[in-house]
Amino acid sequence: MKVQILGMGCPKCKLLEQNAREAARELGIDVEIEKVADSDTIMEMGVMMTPALAIDGNVKSAGKVLTKDQVARILKGGK
Amino acid sequence: MAECSCGSGETNLLFACSGAANTGFLADQVMRTLVRRKCGKGTCLSAIGADLSGYLASARASTRNLVIDGCPVACGKKIFEGKGLPFVHVVMTELGVEKGTTEITGDLIEEIADKVAAAMKA
Repeated sequence: MKVQILGMGCPKCKLLEQNAREAARELGIDVEIEKVADSDTIMEMGVMMTPALAIDGNVKSAGKVLTKDQVARILKGGK
Repeated sequence: MAECSCGSGETNLLFACSGAANTGFLADQVMRTLVRRKCGKGTCLSAIGADLSGYLASARASTRNLVIDGCPVACGKKIFEGKGLPFVHVVMTELGVEKGTTEITGDLIEEIADKVAAAMKA
Protein backbone atom coordinates (compact mmCIF):
# COMPACT_ATOMS: atom_id res chain seq x y z
CA MET A 1 0.00 0.00 0.00
CA LYS A 2 1.31 3.43 -0.96
CA VAL A 3 0.47 6.44 1.19
CA GLN A 4 1.14 9.84 -0.31
CA ILE A 5 1.38 13.01 1.73
CA LEU A 6 0.77 15.98 -0.53
CA GLY A 7 2.08 19.36 0.56
CA MET A 8 4.94 21.79 0.31
CA GLY A 9 6.55 20.73 3.57
CA CYS A 10 4.82 22.99 6.06
CA PRO A 11 4.34 21.96 9.72
CA LYS A 12 0.86 20.62 8.98
CA CYS A 13 2.21 18.40 6.21
CA LYS A 14 4.85 17.04 8.55
CA LEU A 15 2.27 16.38 11.25
CA LEU A 16 0.05 14.51 8.79
CA GLU A 17 3.01 12.41 7.72
CA GLN A 18 3.82 11.65 11.35
CA ASN A 19 0.21 10.66 12.04
CA ALA A 20 0.18 8.42 8.97
CA ARG A 21 3.41 6.69 10.02
CA GLU A 22 2.09 6.12 13.55
CA ALA A 23 -1.25 4.82 12.28
CA ALA A 24 0.45 2.35 9.95
CA ARG A 25 2.84 1.22 12.67
CA GLU A 26 0.03 0.66 15.20
CA LEU A 27 -1.97 -1.31 12.65
CA GLY A 28 1.07 -3.32 11.67
CA ILE A 29 0.52 -2.46 8.03
CA ASP A 30 3.47 -2.33 5.71
CA VAL A 31 3.12 0.92 3.81
CA GLU A 32 5.31 2.97 1.55
CA ILE A 33 5.04 6.62 2.49
CA GLU A 34 5.82 9.11 -0.24
CA LYS A 35 5.99 12.88 0.23
CA VAL A 36 4.73 14.80 -2.79
CA ALA A 37 5.88 18.43 -2.74
CA ASP A 38 5.81 19.21 -6.44
CA SER A 39 2.99 21.68 -7.01
CA ASP A 40 2.32 20.50 -10.56
CA THR A 41 1.87 16.92 -9.37
CA ILE A 42 -0.39 18.07 -6.56
CA MET A 43 -2.53 20.05 -8.99
CA GLU A 44 -2.66 17.15 -11.44
CA MET A 45 -4.16 15.09 -8.64
CA GLY A 46 -6.89 17.73 -8.31
CA VAL A 47 -5.84 18.82 -4.85
CA MET A 48 -6.59 22.49 -4.25
CA MET A 49 -5.72 22.60 -0.56
CA THR A 50 -2.89 20.91 1.29
CA PRO A 51 -1.99 18.93 3.26
CA ALA A 52 -3.69 16.04 1.53
CA LEU A 53 -3.49 12.30 1.90
CA ALA A 54 -3.82 9.74 -0.86
CA ILE A 55 -3.87 5.97 -0.70
CA ASP A 56 -2.68 4.18 -3.83
CA GLY A 57 -3.29 7.34 -5.85
CA ASN A 58 -6.80 7.90 -4.50
CA VAL A 59 -7.08 11.21 -2.62
CA LYS A 60 -8.89 10.64 0.67
CA SER A 61 -8.52 14.01 2.34
CA ALA A 62 -7.47 17.55 1.46
CA GLY A 63 -6.88 20.74 3.38
CA LYS A 64 -6.69 19.26 6.85
CA VAL A 65 -4.47 17.32 9.20
CA LEU A 66 -6.08 13.96 9.84
CA THR A 67 -5.49 12.53 13.28
CA LYS A 68 -3.73 9.21 13.71
CA ASP A 69 -7.10 7.53 14.33
CA GLN A 70 -8.62 9.09 11.22
CA VAL A 71 -5.72 7.86 9.10
CA ALA A 72 -6.05 4.44 10.70
CA ARG A 73 -9.72 4.24 9.70
CA ILE A 74 -8.77 5.06 6.11
CA LEU A 75 -5.96 2.50 6.11
CA LYS A 76 -8.43 -0.10 7.31
CA GLY A 77 -10.65 0.69 4.36
CA GLY A 78 -13.05 3.12 5.97
CA LYS A 79 -13.73 6.72 4.99
CA MET B 1 -1.49 26.24 -7.31
CA ALA B 2 -2.69 24.25 -4.33
CA GLU B 3 -3.23 26.35 -1.25
CA CYS B 4 -1.51 25.42 1.99
CA SER B 5 -3.96 25.36 4.89
CA CYS B 6 -1.25 26.78 7.13
CA GLY B 7 -2.41 30.12 5.80
CA SER B 8 -5.43 31.76 7.35
CA GLY B 9 -8.66 32.65 5.62
CA GLU B 10 -11.20 30.84 3.57
CA THR B 11 -10.91 28.86 0.37
CA ASN B 12 -13.62 29.34 -2.19
CA LEU B 13 -13.68 26.97 -5.14
CA LEU B 14 -15.34 28.12 -8.36
CA PHE B 15 -16.95 25.74 -10.84
CA ALA B 16 -18.44 26.83 -14.17
CA CYS B 17 -20.63 24.84 -16.51
CA SER B 18 -18.69 25.94 -19.64
CA GLY B 19 -21.45 24.61 -21.85
CA ALA B 20 -21.75 25.16 -25.59
CA ALA B 21 -24.32 27.95 -25.53
CA ASN B 22 -23.61 31.64 -25.00
CA THR B 23 -24.69 31.18 -21.39
CA GLY B 24 -22.12 28.44 -20.83
CA PHE B 25 -19.44 30.65 -22.34
CA LEU B 26 -20.52 33.47 -20.03
CA ALA B 27 -20.43 31.17 -16.98
CA ASP B 28 -16.86 30.20 -17.86
CA GLN B 29 -15.76 33.79 -18.39
CA VAL B 30 -17.38 34.95 -15.16
CA MET B 31 -15.53 32.20 -13.29
CA ARG B 32 -12.22 33.31 -14.81
CA THR B 33 -12.98 36.93 -13.95
CA LEU B 34 -13.65 35.99 -10.33
CA VAL B 35 -10.36 34.08 -10.24
CA ARG B 36 -8.54 37.18 -11.49
CA ARG B 37 -10.28 39.19 -8.76
CA LYS B 38 -9.06 36.59 -6.24
CA CYS B 39 -12.59 35.71 -5.17
CA GLY B 40 -11.65 32.05 -5.29
CA LYS B 41 -9.79 29.33 -7.11
CA GLY B 42 -11.11 28.06 -10.40
CA THR B 43 -11.37 24.33 -10.71
CA CYS B 44 -13.04 21.72 -12.91
CA LEU B 45 -16.71 20.89 -12.73
CA SER B 46 -16.23 17.99 -15.12
CA ALA B 47 -13.69 16.44 -12.73
CA ILE B 48 -16.36 16.37 -10.04
CA GLY B 49 -18.72 14.67 -12.47
CA ALA B 50 -15.97 12.18 -13.32
CA ASP B 51 -15.50 11.26 -9.64
CA LEU B 52 -11.84 12.27 -9.54
CA SER B 53 -10.84 11.86 -5.93
CA GLY B 54 -8.62 14.91 -5.51
CA TYR B 55 -11.29 17.26 -6.79
CA LEU B 56 -13.95 15.65 -4.62
CA ALA B 57 -11.77 15.86 -1.51
CA SER B 58 -11.01 19.50 -2.25
CA ALA B 59 -14.69 20.33 -2.72
CA ARG B 60 -15.49 18.62 0.59
CA ALA B 61 -12.80 20.65 2.36
CA SER B 62 -13.39 24.10 0.88
CA THR B 63 -15.07 26.93 2.73
CA ARG B 64 -17.50 27.44 -0.11
CA ASN B 65 -18.15 25.90 -3.54
CA LEU B 66 -19.65 28.28 -6.06
CA VAL B 67 -21.36 26.54 -8.98
CA ILE B 68 -22.00 28.83 -11.95
CA ASP B 69 -24.51 27.35 -14.35
CA GLY B 70 -25.38 28.92 -17.66
CA CYS B 71 -29.01 27.96 -18.01
CA PRO B 72 -31.88 26.29 -16.16
CA VAL B 73 -30.74 22.84 -17.26
CA ALA B 74 -28.37 23.33 -14.30
CA CYS B 75 -25.88 20.56 -15.01
CA GLY B 76 -23.51 21.88 -12.35
CA LYS B 77 -26.20 21.89 -9.71
CA LYS B 78 -27.20 18.32 -10.60
CA ILE B 79 -23.60 17.14 -10.43
CA PHE B 80 -23.09 18.67 -6.98
CA GLU B 81 -26.40 17.36 -5.69
CA GLY B 82 -25.56 13.94 -7.02
CA LYS B 83 -22.28 13.91 -5.12
CA GLY B 84 -23.85 15.30 -1.95
CA LEU B 85 -21.52 18.29 -1.95
CA PRO B 86 -22.52 21.67 -0.47
CA PHE B 87 -22.58 24.60 -2.87
CA VAL B 88 -23.81 28.10 -3.62
CA HIS B 89 -25.61 28.22 -6.95
CA VAL B 90 -25.97 30.95 -9.55
CA VAL B 91 -27.51 30.71 -13.02
CA MET B 92 -26.70 33.15 -15.80
CA THR B 93 -30.23 33.19 -17.18
CA GLU B 94 -31.50 34.33 -13.80
CA LEU B 95 -29.27 37.40 -14.07
CA GLY B 96 -30.87 38.92 -17.16
CA VAL B 97 -29.09 36.85 -19.81
CA GLU B 98 -31.06 35.09 -22.55
CA LYS B 99 -29.84 31.73 -23.75
CA GLY B 100 -29.04 31.81 -27.47
CA THR B 101 -29.56 35.54 -27.94
CA THR B 102 -27.59 37.72 -25.53
CA GLU B 103 -24.23 38.78 -26.94
CA ILE B 104 -21.43 38.09 -24.48
CA THR B 105 -19.26 41.19 -24.20
CA GLY B 106 -16.48 42.19 -21.86
CA ASP B 107 -18.76 44.69 -20.13
CA LEU B 108 -21.43 42.03 -19.59
CA ILE B 109 -18.89 39.61 -18.12
CA GLU B 110 -17.74 42.25 -15.64
CA GLU B 111 -21.33 43.20 -14.78
CA ILE B 112 -22.36 39.62 -14.14
CA ALA B 113 -19.16 38.94 -12.21
CA ASP B 114 -20.09 41.83 -9.90
CA LYS B 115 -23.49 40.25 -9.27
CA VAL B 116 -22.05 36.80 -8.67
CA ALA B 117 -19.41 38.17 -6.30
CA ALA B 118 -22.17 39.86 -4.33
CA ALA B 119 -24.15 36.60 -4.23
CA MET B 120 -21.11 34.80 -2.84
CA LYS B 121 -20.96 37.20 0.08
CA ALA B 122 -24.69 37.03 0.81
